[in-house]
Amino acid sequence: MRLTVNGQPYDLAIAGHESLVAILRGRLGLTGTKVACGRGECGACTVLIDGKPAYACLTLAAACEGAAVSTIEGLGAAERLHALQQAFIAHDALQCGFCTPGQIMAAAALLAQTPRPTEAEVRHGMSGNLCRCGAYPKIVRAVLDAAQRLEAARGA
Amino acid sequence: MAPRKRPPAPARGASAPPAPTEAHRPPRFVATKVEIEGREETKIVELPDRNPQPWDDAAELHVVGARVPRMDAVEKVTGGARYTADVLRPGMLWAAVVRAPAAAGRATLDVSAALARPGVRGVLTLDDVRGIRLDGMQLLDDAIHYAGQPLCVVCADHYALARAGAAAVRVTVEPAPHAVNLEQALADGAPRVRSRGNVSPRSPRLIQRGDVDAGLHDAEVTITREYRTPVALHSALEPHGAVAEWEGGRLSVWESTQGIFNTRSDLAKALGLGLSNVRVMKDYMGGGFGAKNGASAAAYLAAVAARKLGRPVRCAWDREGEQTDAGNRSATVQRVTLGAKRDGTLTAIVLDATIPLGMGGWEAGPGRIYHELHACPNVRTSETFVYTNTGPMASFRAPGHTEGAFGLESALNALAGELGLDPLELRRRNYATADQSRDRRYSAKRLDECYRRGAERFGWHDRAARRATTSATHVRRGFGMAACVWGGGGGPPAYATVRLNRDGTADVLTGAQDLGTGSRTVLAQIAAETLGAKLADVRTVLGDTERLPFASNSWGSITTASVGPAVRAAAEEARDRLFEAAAAMLDAGVTELSSRDGVISVRGSERTMTIGEACNRLGDVMIMGQGSRGPNPEQTTIPAFGAHFAEVEVDVETGRVRVVRIVAAHDSGRIINPTLAESQLEGAVLQGLGYALFEERVLDARLGLPMNPTLHDYKVPTMADAPAIEGFFVGGADTVANHTGAKGLAEPPIIPVAPAIAAAVADAIGAEMPEIPMTPWRVLAELKTAG
Repeated sequence: MRLTVNGQPYDLAIAGHESLVAILRGRLGLTGTKVACGRGECGACTVLIDGKPAYACLTLAAACEGAAVSTIEGLGAAERLHALQQAFIAHDALQCGFCTPGQIMAAAALLAQTPRPTEAEVRHGMSGNLCRCGAYPKIVRAVLDAAQRLEAARGA
Repeated sequence: MAPRKRPPAPARGASAPPAPTEAHRPPRFVATKVEIEGREETKIVELPDRNPQPWDDAAELHVVGARVPRMDAVEKVTGGARYTADVLRPGMLWAAVVRAPAAAGRATLDVSAALARPGVRGVLTLDDVRGIRLDGMQLLDDAIHYAGQPLCVVCADHYALARAGAAAVRVTVEPAPHAVNLEQALADGAPRVRSRGNVSPRSPRLIQRGDVDAGLHDAEVTITREYRTPVALHSALEPHGAVAEWEGGRLSVWESTQGIFNTRSDLAKALGLGLSNVRVMKDYMGGGFGAKNGASAAAYLAAVAARKLGRPVRCAWDREGEQTDAGNRSATVQRVTLGAKRDGTLTAIVLDATIPLGMGGWEAGPGRIYHELHACPNVRTSETFVYTNTGPMASFRAPGHTEGAFGLESALNALAGELGLDPLELRRRNYATADQSRDRRYSAKRLDECYRRGAERFGWHDRAARRATTSATHVRRGFGMAACVWGGGGGPPAYATVRLNRDGTADVLTGAQDLGTGSRTVLAQIAAETLGAKLADVRTVLGDTERLPFASNSWGSITTASVGPAVRAAAEEARDRLFEAAAAMLDAGVTELSSRDGVISVRGSERTMTIGEACNRLGDVMIMGQGSRGPNPEQTTIPAFGAHFAEVEVDVETGRVRVVRIVAAHDSGRIINPTLAESQLEGAVLQGLGYALFEERVLDARLGLPMNPTLHDYKVPTMADAPAIEGFFVGGADTVANHTGAKGLAEPPIIPVAPAIAAAVADAIGAEMPEIPMTPWRVLAELKTAG
């Protein structure tokens, strides 16, 4: 089947039971997407499928045929960081960083749907992404800041 | 190597008498005390050649103390950071663990169906690991000690195949009676949990000073309360796991660990290898919180499986494994009696505690903080540790003190109520100015400043006016506070090397770990400050036993205070060598040189050159400095302190508690990076909030099985639960502690959270909260009792 990840097409032989996250991490080497629970409880594996957030651990890879999958690696690289990545760094919205790719992808989905979220909307919209280090207050600030940065960039 | 220019300076705090046979030469190796996780250990230390002048509050520092971004943040936000969970080795097999489905009994395994499955390359059972023991238990034992205990491991080409193989292992259990809680373990005729009995042989652990009977006799007010705290689970997002690979007789292990050198020792001993034949690596790590302090069962299993099957093996716990078999914070029952004069002066503190340990672990105990936090001449604590058929405990962020603070600080708040005194005033009237439990001085103590500035920021004294401002008639507002003390002075041994590359960039090499705390960043800041280098040119390399000098486990909030001074000493030695080389290039004397932001300048002249230019002219001559951590000052306790103030809203119809705001004021000496320090502080407050309101491992007493071993059912705080947190640090450098002036800060801020919130809930509803987590039904029950 053909899987499109971060704009790159991949032709892969995929067994029916294989999860999207297993393919991303094991076969494509895209280890930015993490597995922390493997059962849709923590959000660490959040990716975008056709722009909508999805738990890659609960998504069958085979079901993604024809869809566009976006992972943290596709969002922005070190030399060209996405506004969310910049804001996460600026606000120190991370500690161990294990949940960070999922947090950022969930935030990207939130901002795609709600470009100017209120603080309450951020808290509600991202409460499915757990952070055991407790970076939440700074994640909220980073997402609100990124929304402003993105808006400024659109206006410019 | 350039000759050392300075004679060895006398080490601070090391005044061991000279050896009688060599009266002219003081001993080079001396003993010093180091406090780790509330336990004091005696360590040998080699007196360093170099003892930099302490950075006091007047020291002019540019990089240390600056709010610079986390230095590995780009790696973390791009997905480029490689965690142990991301390590893939060529030909690697994946392991899946078969776990005990009962709390006690004997297991018989039939692995034939698993071995017949596609992709399965082998299994490990008891015979493969006989002699390897963890927490006093044989690994893969067929005698079942707790539900979730590993029984066998199936290795296959992919994880899904390994899991399918594990599911095909037939486990037959001959059941035996179990004891999974205190009541069962202490009942008459209880099943024997461990061969030595159900109560630890060191129990009861009795620690006392003064005469509590006399203290209670002198008391004008006495209160007695019983407090209960739950078993809490670390729930790090990266589960325990390791990858092992053999090259001939040499073993390489990547493990998610807080201690690469401890892990190396554990593995070498178990496998009969020399330490130099075991290499342990850990780069990025998805949290530890105390549960990853040595080789995990997963690491032993990966190493043995890799040797047996001739391929690299990854063995990692799945989430259910992590929530049942990766350590936990012990539950406690604390019966507390306080005696006091009418003016609030404490005359006696008595604790009788019972602590179910699971199958083992170490005996952290809630008692110690009762001796340390408040002034009182008469204190007696008795702690009884009980074995149960559950997974062993493991250190969990301020182990013992966090549990103990809930009892002690809640009791103090209850006493304040009884006396009609402000809880803050009661604490001020019992302010300890020295370490009473060990009868010695503190290196520094600014808890009074935490009290004052925390109360100010919180508006503690105006709280009565804010009480009525709630959003609805069924919502009540309340306010509470609590304090903490914790070790965190760190100590030796810790070593670092700083080397300059020919382009002027610098590598800081030390075998410490960054758990997400920011060690990588703060150690680079210390080196950049000392070298006068640009921070961006300094990189910290951590986590490799083969390539890096020793540093201890990242535990007990000790890393900055232990490794920081070693890094500073190493950087100073490198800088002195650099200056010797640069002096000739700049036609100046060494003492005329200074460096800042990557530029070396000559005092009173315009002549400058960059560190990069100097290094480049030296070609491949390598400027290198070595540093080590010196001894701690003698007869001195080096603690960190803090005070928290909480505001909550309680819905008296549903029993739901919403924490509105926490103000957390802390004294941890010099703060190397305020931004990162505040991040840790906020994180600890949130973990404490989870402990106070949501987190509790639930076991079915009859079945002996965990009921909530998932992140859905075991509730850790989410973004929606996060209150406004105003965390800050008071005071400045603790120059008695060490020459960087910094102390630990990771653990202290979890300690006062639960009692501060409980006091606020009690204040809101007019009923004390004797048990956490304060779930809605517990709040409603207390409301009902209070009428």
